[in-house]
Amino acid sequence: MGFGRADLLQGTLEMLVLRALALEPMHGWGLAQRIEAMSNSVFEIQQGSLYPALQRMKRKGWVRAEWLQTENNRRARYYSITAAGEKRLTAERAQWERTSGAVNGILQWKRGVL
Amino acid sequence: MGAYLGRGERYPAVEAGCAVRLVAELRERLRALVFRPREEREMDEELQTHLQFETERQMATGFDPVEARRRAHLRLGGMERVKEEVRSARGTRALEEAGQDIRYSLRTLRRHPGFTAAVALSLGLGIGANTAIFSLMDAVLWRTLPVDDPEGLWAVGDRFPYDGFRVLEADDTVLAGAAASVRVPLNVSIDGSLEPTAEGLLVSGRFFSLLGVPPAAGRAIGLEDHQVPGGHPVVMLGDGYWTRRFARDRSVVGRAIAISGLPYTVVGIAPPNFAGVEVGTAPDLYVPVTMQSAVMPALGNRPNAITGQFRVLARLRPGVSPEQAASALEGPVITWVTAELGTRLSPEMGDRATPARIRLAALNLWPGLTPAAAGFSELRDQVSRPLSMLLFVVGTLLLIACANTANLLLARATVRRRELATRLALGAGRSRLMRQLLVESVILAVLGGTVGLAVAYWATHLLVAFMSIGQTPITLDLRPDLRVLGFTALVSLATGILFGIAPAVRATGFSLTSTLRGAVGLGGRRRGWGPDRMLVVVQLALSLVLLIGAGLFARSLAALNNRDFAFDRDRVIVVRVEPQASNTRSRARQGAAGLDRLYRDLLDRVSALPGVVSASLAQFTPSNRMGIERQPTTPSGEVVSLHIPMVYPRYFETVGVPLVAGRDLAARDLDADSAPVAVVNETFARQFYRGGSPVGQPCLVNISPSKRPCQIVGVVRDSAYADFTGDIVATLYQPFLQTAGNRGQMALHVRVAGEPAALMPSIRTMVAETDPTVPHFEARTLAEEVSGVMIRERLLATLASVFGAVALALACVGLYGLLAFAVVGRTAEIGVRMALGASRGDVVFMVLREALLLLAVGGTVGVLIGVAAARLAGSQIEGLLFGLDVIDPVSIAGACVVLVLVATIAAVLPARGAAAIDPTESLRNG
Repeated sequence: MGFGRADLLQGTLEMLVLRALALEPMHGWGLAQRIEAMSNSVFEIQQGSLYPALQRMKRKGWVRAEWLQTENNRRARYYSITAAGEKRLTAERAQWERTSGAVNGILQWKRGVL
Repeated sequence: MGAYLGRGERYPAVEAGCAVRLVAELRERLRALVFRPREEREMDEELQTHLQFETERQMATGFDPVEARRRAHLRLGGMERVKEEVRSARGTRALEEAGQDIRYSLRTLRRHPGFTAAVALSLGLGIGANTAIFSLMDAVLWRTLPVDDPEGLWAVGDRFPYDGFRVLEADDTVLAGAAASVRVPLNVSIDGSLEPTAEGLLVSGRFFSLLGVPPAAGRAIGLEDHQVPGGHPVVMLGDGYWTRRFARDRSVVGRAIAISGLPYTVVGIAPPNFAGVEVGTAPDLYVPVTMQSAVMPALGNRPNAITGQFRVLARLRPGVSPEQAASALEGPVITWVTAELGTRLSPEMGDRATPARIRLAALNLWPGLTPAAAGFSELRDQVSRPLSMLLFVVGTLLLIACANTANLLLARATVRRRELATRLALGAGRSRLMRQLLVESVILAVLGGTVGLAVAYWATHLLVAFMSIGQTPITLDLRPDLRVLGFTALVSLATGILFGIAPAVRATGFSLTSTLRGAVGLGGRRRGWGPDRMLVVVQLALSLVLLIGAGLFARSLAALNNRDFAFDRDRVIVVRVEPQASNTRSRARQGAAGLDRLYRDLLDRVSALPGVVSASLAQFTPSNRMGIERQPTTPSGEVVSLHIPMVYPRYFETVGVPLVAGRDLAARDLDADSAPVAVVNETFARQFYRGGSPVGQPCLVNISPSKRPCQIVGVVRDSAYADFTGDIVATLYQPFLQTAGNRGQMALHVRVAGEPAALMPSIRTMVAETDPTVPHFEARTLAEEVSGVMIRERLLATLASVFGAVALALACVGLYGLLAFAVVGRTAEIGVRMALGASRGDVVFMVLREALLLLAVGGTVGVLIGVAAARLAGSQIEGLLFGLDVIDPVSIAGACVVLVLVATIAAVLPARGAAAIDPTESLRNG
């Protein structure tokens, strides 16, 4: 079992998407590239799972979508984060830090320490 | 690092505004649903754009366009799959699927119109019949009066005397008001021309204010019309009468109409939907009770005292309970009753009228207070039991219809096996398939419910018209209210779901490969008692039960009808005649003698009309058994009932009751000073003279005012009236003037030679000419009167027969369906048999044997259920039958015969179909 390109679960993907969109609005493909780049290629996004995730987030009001022109004058659907989305990002981030802090704590736990 | 713990944890900061979020989310989902086509287009475009970008990137890495495109597709991972996931994420899946299911089901049902029609019709009949009966029961039994706060209304018994009401009206300690009303027929003329008899309601001053019913126009009758007896000639119109007679012309308020010859001013119009306090009737006119002597001349100048006929309602003061009120009112009421009884009864009862006895009688007369939210109703008493019985009948009918539906659905599901197997193989979920099948059966049920509503509407009106034969037309508020509609909806849905589940489950639970390969074939079930055969047996059994019931009620009605009434019903017209103060004839104009002269005058005139064979007067009619009742002791020591009505000469020949001994009363017996005579019936002769002829013997019961000995001059055949279902009572017919009784109203009986309808107007005119103040009652034939009295029996017999026939039809359709289906399924087998030498006759016999087996089992079960039901509900049903036991072998046998005959006919068709199978064809098609 190797630690190759890792897989992401749904909740984490949402958090990462929100983070990316918080920087600037992007279309779906661009978003996939950006997240991969931001993670230094550790995460390989399942492109097919991106769109359902975006749809879910749109339904919940965390992102909004509109059709705009790209640099090459092509029509693409751009997603941007909403105020509710920003709030969600903050909350998810806090939760992530709590959880990963706890996991780190367990991994570093030495015998004899109580 | 992939695992992200905490999926199940909450985000406390985000929970704020939860409700707002939900609403927004719901809006998004709905938007996605409504704009679905656009969403699909946009999604497609978005994904195509994505693929372009990815293709370009792959080409930039060095791949050629074709390979780049392929890699792009791989990276995206299955376009359709992604689309499905996005659709799923839209959150509208459930609704979309439901929409798809409905559209698919509708298409499928449209493709098989015969099947759809069969199911919709049989369900519609079952549901419709139930809704009709339920709707009737609601209108007659349960619906509250359309007044203010009906639950606050309390009734004083069923009927209460007017003077007693005045005692209550005067109370101001426990009651917040009391009102009285009574139905009276009115003699109305508008602009000089005589109108048909109108239904009137005499009302006390507080009637409309107590009920909280505002007038639709003008003003309501109130306390100001309750002051002076005879001094308030005003009238209010009922809404129906205003529509029928005045075409809703508002200018009628202020005009005058004549009642019993006197002009009355129309002061107002009652609101629509208000129909008095008696369910089943609707007053045409409302008149203050102070005008009672003018409109109801028979009652003289005071509304009837002790035996009063008023409907009395009251409201309680706040904080007073009905029990408190009843006991508080007991005192004043008893005081009044005691005084009344004392003055009225003492002369008759002599020293038997002790104060203690009188007080006891008074206590018995005080009925206390009962809730009256649903008003009063004679109709209710008449039909509540038959209606409950009928509910059971239609419930059974619905069960049969449901069994039919279930069978049809099962059969269809089996036929569609190939289609379902294919869909399963293509990836449809089993639960999705079941859902779709369920949606189909729910749609069918909804269709059936709609048909049922239409059937119910039509049937209810038909029923009411049927019940109205022979009496004043019944008026009911039949608008379906929420209860009825809810009931129908519930029954439809329950039917659809209940009887769609089993077929749906069965349809989706079979082995895929064997079905696709065709190994099982279309037939499905083989031997053994599968649900389809069980259902047909159940249908046959239940329809046998209904047929037995129909047989019972029909035979009962026939027995009643054929009972030798000993009077001729079709050629005799009956009209009630109640001249001024004839209710208490001692107070009538010039007393009893004056009334007698009036009657004789009337008889002379009517007998002179062309077409009249003979005319006479009698105190009673089939719907109205008037006359003195006594309980004398026969020589053998038995205490029997004795009925003593007054008649005029030629009564018996007018009505068609044959004389068996002696002579009829003659004109000379009518004088006040002639010797008292009487005519008796056969039962009287049998009970009191034990076989010997009573002609010439003394009457044994003396009720003539002169106390002179009375002699029997004739004996007539027994004839039943008013209580057809009871035994014939000993009767002593006396001439008018020779009875010491108190009443003087009579009914004119006229025997005609031609059609009764032709002479009715002339007879009414004759009555009017003789005495213009006589209120006009409807003239009817004796046949109509009798029908009116037998309403219960007619209702039951007709409806039970109709429902029995429908049940039989449904069961036979079920049987036919099952057999036809089995023949289709066993086509191959039959082909083999015929190829091996079986004749067509053998094949027919094979099918018929199946039918007979089902009939035998169904019939036995049906008889058992019928007998068990008879045992359980025996006492209930017995009261509705005449001359039959509840377990009547003739009815049972007859029902069985009918069932076997009709079912055999239903089985012949598939049998012939089986015989027509061509062996080679069937073997080839397998």
